[in-house]
Amino acid sequence: MKRFDSILLKVFLYGLSLVAVLAVFSYFYSIGAVKHSGDYVKFLNGFAGFVFAVWMMLSIALSLRLIVSGPFRDQVIARITLIRERDEREAILTGKATKTVFLTSLAFLILLFCLSCFQVSVYKVPLEKAVDGKTGIVSLGLGFSLLEHGRQDRPEDTIERKDIFSYRGLPVSSATIILMLIAWQVISYNYSMRRLMK
Amino acid sequence: MSKSLPQLRIINRLHVLRAERRITQEQLAKEIGVTRATIIAIEGGNYNPSLELAFRIACYFKTDINMIFSIKEEIK
Repeated sequence: MKRFDSILLKVFLYGLSLVAVLAVFSYFYSIGAVKHSGDYVKFLNGFAGFVFAVWMMLSIALSLRLIVSGPFRDQVIARITLIRERDEREAILTGKATKTVFLTSLAFLILLFCLSCFQVSVYKVPLEKAVDGKTGIVSLGLGFSLLEHGRQDRPEDTIERKDIFSYRGLPVSSATIILMLIAWQVISYNYSMRRLMK
Repeated sequence: MSKSLPQLRIINRLHVLRAERRITQEQLAKEIGVTRATIIAIEGGNYNPSLELAFRIACYFKTDINMIFSIKEEIK
């Protein structure tokens, strides 16, 4: 199992850079910036998809191993941050850095939760729809839904209106938020650890 | 409410003992199984070692733990 973990981690980390390069290529391919005519280009695009699928499968295996195996977690943290726990002082510093990461991530998640629920719209309505002769309207709202899509994902109201400013939940996808959180955790852990070790 | 306890400042004579025996920080670190950064932190008073490490240091210098680590003053 130790050997499997080691190979899994290596393939995941080295594959990450390959996936990033292939993702950039696939993006340019999909928007037509790269000519679709060449056979090798089509092959490369297909290869990018295959590599991404394999890497995703490995990521799932890695996530499961991370949940169940303590030694593997130590191995991963050493490889991701390039910092090893060599003695008791460094183990204490790891704990402090982890606490910082946990609390900042929690703050980040609370902020994202609030931003995802919050809605604000500033708009103008036609004179015949005006309330007390006022055509400018500011609308504030909170939308939270446990199982179904949030209010911000529902179709627009049918009232004829001219939006001046409108904010309905986070304008980014859930995959982007998850990626941001992963990056935040790795970067903030590295930063905290290096600052503590000075 | 619990009574607030005074903070204890632990000082050590590690650098003195090391100088007496002409041992480098690197050598000491290797002998007691820690990094040189930890020795620097202990000598600089920035890190108080665990009881286990303190005993390991005392054993290495063949002396009593009180001869290396002591409480200098109480800061309120």
